[in-house]
Amino acid sequence: MTAAGKTYARADLLVEGSKIAAVGVDLPVPAGATVIDLGGKTLTPGIIDTHSHIGVYAAPGLVGHSDGNEATMPNTAGVRAGDAYFPQDPQIDRARAGGVTTMQILPGSANLFGGRSVTVRLLPGARSVSDARFPGAPEGLKMACGENPKRTYGSKSGPSTRMGNVAGYRDAFQRASEYRRSWTKYQKDLSEWTAKKNAPKPDPPPPTKAKSGGDRSDEPDKLEEPTPPARDFALETLVGVLRGEILVHNHCYRADEMSLMLELAATYDFKIRSFHHATEAYKIADRLAAADTAASVWADWWGFKAEALDGIRENAALLTQAGARAIIHSDSAHGIQRLNQEAAKAMFAGRRAGLTVTDDQALRWITANPAWALGVADQTGTLEPGKLADLVVWSGDPFSVYSVAEQVFIAGELVYARGKLEPRTDFELGYLPDDLGAAQGPK
Amino acid sequence: MRLLLTVGFLSGLSGMSAEAAPPPPTPRPSVAAPTPAGAGPVYLVGGELHLGDGTIIKDSVIAMDRGVFTVVGGPEARTRLPAGATLIDARTRMITPGLFAADTQLGLVEIDLEASTRDDGKATEHPIRAAHDAASGLNAASSLIPVQAVEGITSAAVAPTGGLVSGQVAIIDLVHDDHRGLVAKPRVATAAHYGQTHAGSRAATLALLREVLADARSFPARRAAFERAQSRPLSAHPLDLEALQPILRGQAVLTLHADRASDILAALDLAAEFKLRLAIVGGAEAWKVADELARAEVPVIVQPTQNLPGSFDSMGARLDNAALLHRAGVPVVLAILGGVHNLRNLTQEAGIAVANGLPWEAALTAVTLGPARAYGVERTHGSIAVGKVANLVVWSDDPFELSSAAMQVYVRGALVPQVTRQTLLRDRYRDLQQFTHKRN
Repeated sequence: MTAAGKTYARADLLVEGSKIAAVGVDLPVPAGATVIDLGGKTLTPGIIDTHSHIGVYAAPGLVGHSDGNEATMPNTAGVRAGDAYFPQDPQIDRARAGGVTTMQILPGSANLFGGRSVTVRLLPGARSVSDARFPGAPEGLKMACGENPKRTYGSKSGPSTRMGNVAGYRDAFQRASEYRRSWTKYQKDLSEWTAKKNAPKPDPPPPTKAKSGGDRSDEPDKLEEPTPPARDFALETLVGVLRGEILVHNHCYRADEMSLMLELAATYDFKIRSFHHATEAYKIADRLAAADTAASVWADWWGFKAEALDGIRENAALLTQAGARAIIHSDSAHGIQRLNQEAAKAMFAGRRAGLTVTDDQALRWITANPAWALGVADQTGTLEPGKLADLVVWSGDPFSVYSVAEQVFIAGELVYARGKLEPRTDFELGYLPDDLGAAQGPK
Repeated sequence: MRLLLTVGFLSGLSGMSAEAAPPPPTPRPSVAAPTPAGAGPVYLVGGELHLGDGTIIKDSVIAMDRGVFTVVGGPEARTRLPAGATLIDARTRMITPGLFAADTQLGLVEIDLEASTRDDGKATEHPIRAAHDAASGLNAASSLIPVQAVEGITSAAVAPTGGLVSGQVAIIDLVHDDHRGLVAKPRVATAAHYGQTHAGSRAATLALLREVLADARSFPARRAAFERAQSRPLSAHPLDLEALQPILRGQAVLTLHADRASDILAALDLAAEFKLRLAIVGGAEAWKVADELARAEVPVIVQPTQNLPGSFDSMGARLDNAALLHRAGVPVVLAILGGVHNLRNLTQEAGIAVANGLPWEAALTAVTLGPARAYGVERTHGSIAVGKVANLVVWSDDPFELSSAAMQVYVRGALVPQVTRQTLLRDRYRDLQQFTHKRN
């Protein structure tokens, strides 16, 4: 299943180095190639999750592991999830065993601006985030609408209302626009100054009567070098958004709020790459399609707070029907282990309601579409020549509850094989009886 | 723009109707008109019937009347149906008992983060809340009930939360908006939480639990002295001590939440000491002490997907917990632990347990008869048998498979309409053109 429109009943896929070299039926076997027979199995692209807090809320949920929300002020656009990502989180191993090859690690949703995200690959043996970082992936900015910022700051500095939330976004993007202007002005001044400094000097004027002993500062053409504006990393993040270099990932549930955010984005001329959770996205699927903004949704979460009350299982299917880009995300170290099943639930719910959703479309909800939302669609997300060999071998139909990931490849490297290669992070070593040779409990 | 509003003349509207927004699509019609609970007979024939106790009957015959099963059998039982009866053809379908959600706050919680919609926990500093009775706070009109029922959940154990002893568990049948009828049986169990629940220490938690049980045991004989204020101070309010009598008499179950293997062993010891009928809820590391659990015949209510070391109490959590327990002979129950909104995913949990080694029929029992037995209501619930409450699901296919759907759900013999707040929302927004028509 290629997630690129084409599904083969039987096919070959050739990997050369880290990339897919060919996909097709009865491909010639190059000399020296290792042949892996997957008869009866299903091959899909590696699964991609746009929304995870693995590594920043590592398991176990210890006080010492709580690194996901810099909930000290509503705008912490300058912090970076990558600076808190703990590569020894055992949840990484469980996600990999579920076929996940790439995930975006986001700061939490306590703040209007939570900070920058990092997109990582689930490679075993990473000793720091740098070993896991997806090469070339753009950074994201986590923004949050609605109840969470209100709840976090309502009894502190504010915002305490949705009015306050939106005022906070507006204020920040206004300041970012001015910050960008001050830098633009500085750069203009600097280049003018540089040009003048380097310009060939005219002949010195004839000596005049010195007032105070020939002080050089008296030279009339002397220009002071412009001073750069004070650097502000939070505003720099927002300027990255205005320039389209940092992708906005906006936690937002309600249709009315998402609509307001689209309007705000239009005012400041930036794009929201994906709404997240978006339990009411189906109510504005047309607007999302028109704005080319994706919606990262759950298959069926709903009701845990007021703004999530209207979540329905047909959300993704209705988005797809309207031509919007639907994504099934997890926001859960449990859900991330079976995004294929979550997509299946959303797909079958859509079909039962009479909507048309193909297997390929549903597979794109967890592969090609999240790849687009993370800005890595040119590198991964489908089984097409030139893409990274991020692959999952399933025991059967990936939309069956009984299927499991049997092998997982990241950039051509086998990183998981069920029962044979099951890497574990440092954290779990020594906690299980098997590790220490004790024959406690059934094997 | 001129707008003529005409009241009482259809002709005044006819000119507008051509341009008016199209009516929202009508909801998918339900498979048959809903029957009120306890009303007329229903006959289902031809389905592959899984009774819930491991028995399978091909080409089955089922009759339901006045809320209970009246005929259950194979093709030979057709002779026991009245002549001329309208039969519902269930050939090619799989029929199972209605699913039993074993650890919920259904009817007590509408929106988790809105305290005004929650009645599951008694807000008090005192850790002993045994008299806090779920049955007396239930809301049969909860929108969550139909959402679960249309996907095959027909009964639920509703447990209070919080504290060391949280309160009394009720069994409900999912009859929406029937406030008088919702509760099938109140006070079937007392829910409690072991682990580091009280005073920041397991030892303190266990000591208080033992003290409360000992006080409860001696309380009936000392009630008069207590009323005369001639008693030493008691560890809990007299109403709480009263509420613990059924578990001390073996007439109700103590459901104890515990994950760590050492906590489960402590629970087994406590149950032996006070001769309690125990059920373990959670049981992340139950597989480690499966043999002891099997010997004590203590059921364990687990959630198959809970495989993360979420705390140091569940370092041994694993996907095949249910399979290992079953293999060791432990009565295993599968559940969405503490769930409300997505109890419907119980089928997925069961499928995942099967994918990790639990035999299929054992998984079905673990979501039907297993929970009924764990709560001591197996005489009325959990399987398809003459005289039992007629809770039943006709599935399009294997109920655990994600592609499968509950085609017909009967609760107490009445067909559940396939309409929920969610299907109404879906159908309202199915066609967005009606919202843009003549605007924008």
